[in-house]
Amino acid sequence: MIRAALLLALLGGQSAPEQLRFITCPVYRDTDAGRKSGCWLAEDRATGIRYDVTLAPSKPDWNHEVLVEGVLSASTAQPCGGPVLDAVRTSVLPGTCTRQMLPAEGFPGRKFVLPKRNIQPLSVKRTPPAGPFASRTFHLLFDFDQSFLIYQYDDYFLDEAVAWIRAAKPRAILVTGHAATAPTFVSGRRIVERPVIARERAEKIAEALVRLGIDRSIVTVRWKAGEVAEMPEADGLAEPSRRRVDIAVSF
Amino acid sequence: MTRMAGLAPLGAGLLFAAGVAAQGQGHDRWWAPGDGRVFPASLDYRNDSGTLRVLLTGGPMETKGHPFFTPVGPNGRACITCHQPADAMSVSAESARQRWTETAGKDPLFAAYDGSNCPTLPQGERASHSLLLDHGLIRIQRPWPARDLQGRAVKADFDIDVVRDPWGCNSGAYGPARGKISVYRRPRPVANLKYLLAVGFAYDPKQGMPLPLDPESGKPMSGNLMADGRAGTLNAQMRDAVASHLELLKHFDAADMAKIVDFESRVFAAQQVDAVGGPTDAGGAEGGPGKLARSEPGQLGSIGKPVWSEFEGWEKPDPALSKEANAFRASVARGARTFRDKTFLISDSAGINSPIGFGNPVRNSCVFCHNMSQMGNDVAPGQVDLGTTTKPFADPMPWLPLFRVTCLDKPHPHYGRVIYTYDPGYALTTGRCADVGKITLQSMRGLAARAPYFSNGVAKDLRGVIDYYERRYKIGYTEQEKQDLVNLMSVL
Repeated sequence: MIRAALLLALLGGQSAPEQLRFITCPVYRDTDAGRKSGCWLAEDRATGIRYDVTLAPSKPDWNHEVLVEGVLSASTAQPCGGPVLDAVRTSVLPGTCTRQMLPAEGFPGRKFVLPKRNIQPLSVKRTPPAGPFASRTFHLLFDFDQSFLIYQYDDYFLDEAVAWIRAAKPRAILVTGHAATAPTFVSGRRIVERPVIARERAEKIAEALVRLGIDRSIVTVRWKAGEVAEMPEADGLAEPSRRRVDIAVSF
Repeated sequence: MTRMAGLAPLGAGLLFAAGVAAQGQGHDRWWAPGDGRVFPASLDYRNDSGTLRVLLTGGPMETKGHPFFTPVGPNGRACITCHQPADAMSVSAESARQRWTETAGKDPLFAAYDGSNCPTLPQGERASHSLLLDHGLIRIQRPWPARDLQGRAVKADFDIDVVRDPWGCNSGAYGPARGKISVYRRPRPVANLKYLLAVGFAYDPKQGMPLPLDPESGKPMSGNLMADGRAGTLNAQMRDAVASHLELLKHFDAADMAKIVDFESRVFAAQQVDAVGGPTDAGGAEGGPGKLARSEPGQLGSIGKPVWSEFEGWEKPDPALSKEANAFRASVARGARTFRDKTFLISDSAGINSPIGFGNPVRNSCVFCHNMSQMGNDVAPGQVDLGTTTKPFADPMPWLPLFRVTCLDKPHPHYGRVIYTYDPGYALTTGRCADVGKITLQSMRGLAARAPYFSNGVAKDLRGVIDYYERRYKIGYTEQEKQDLVNLMSVL
């Protein structure tokens, strides 16, 4: 809650919805409404409320615990049979779970729609970003203790960054990896990211930039402990913003 | 039963077969290295389902002296040995058996290095070549420690040891302790390669990274060429093949490689005529290799031309055809829809359920992975673990070596810390425990000409492929759906 309050301050004192954070075993509900239609449910054991976390960019694994971070939706619709978290992240944790699957039980689930953050095939012609260009920073966010670029989320932001960099032709790029190395307590458990993950994130993104055609000689790589920051990529969530890479572009 | 139930494919197909000048049915069906024949612009070969056609765009080619067709190493082999036109540019177990009989086992195909179960075995005996003759498998010797795409040693995050070594090629002078791991795989077809080389997106979502770059051209590599992803370009594949299968340490020179790339880029193979349903490009259908040669590769079926929609025209009966022919065509068209639309729960399959973020499980259909229009391979690099090579999903295969992989860092996302596998697959290239069992999807064309299936040949026929998926994912296919899918695959 301290972190949530910090973000609240960052946002200028406006009232913000409570940011939920808990660890649990996920439950899959097979609503069978076509491809990628299944529901993911996660019960906060502290309250006994089972939330719908399906809208997370990366989904749970029914064999493993999951860290849920999210905000309750303003909508009261419950297509999967639980209150919806619609700014939500789910991080798969090493702890094991007994897999549990529910039938649809009358819940419709959601028909799959392409996420808003998806990249176009190379065959689709793109319009380069227009100048003028000034120094700016791009952000990529990661699941807890992971350095994997999340499909239809991180790849989208990275693609945007690279398109901009190609058009802007900057003098230097500083890639800084961050990790949430300050422990927090979630569901009665102390959790903390490994410090090395900040370096892994930074080095991976630097390599990704090079593979996408950015000159390696202008890329510098650093890593450090992560602090909460305001950024649209985090969808208003505080803790995920600590687990990130900043791509700072300067001229 | 591998074909449409209740029909007699070959008998009923005589009507259609009569219109095709099938070539190479006799001694010339097998292309031996150094034959010196002209490779024609179009070649037709009969198989149990009908007729396969191999097209060479740009017209006929003289093979005399051509490096793809010329024996260059001490074992008398050339590329053509394991990439036969009649077998859709792969080699079927049936062709291997015929060749064994015709040459009393003397054909270069049965070279000790990899055409036998192990070079240390007595080479004159059939039993020493049983993996090739019974399962269509070639020995693939991979270095250990693993080496990446650039041939650099990789520090693996797993240990590997040998549980069972039926042929002695993973112990003694071989095996992980001697830096040589022997796995056994089906040769991949050298046809329709523009589809396997196509780069549809800049990213590999399964690895969470942009595609790796070819050090020679600086361009991104598709990642769809080899079963274990060990070569990203045709040039890299050639170097690997020449140094191993052809037992020639000297690489081809640049001119040779250019000639091979030119040939490989012009070859297209697909079933042209079905013995029951007739020409695969008639009646509104768009099958056959001609369409493949003309189409743009790398297109995602979900946002373009739906996968196997080439056979939509067969949904409507043709009054000029027999009841049997129309029934077969309808079955193929239903199979295409089942392939695209019948969803099921996919679980515990690395490359799908981890680490990409789709969730474990995820509901989808065959086209989730087989998503490229016209070809059915993966637009993204297709390294996926279906379980065909790895326990507990892999069927018992006492004829194959069994390895125990112990993950040293994080456990495998689905198998845990200790994994039993017949073939670690992609992990032999990346050195990552999380990649154990991943095998690159291959193209789905010319299937009728190149049984058995899956990288280790565990499915003897097309029905075996469907049965494996049914066992693995509890799909719940009806008998009709299974037959429709078999019929679909037989005309691809």
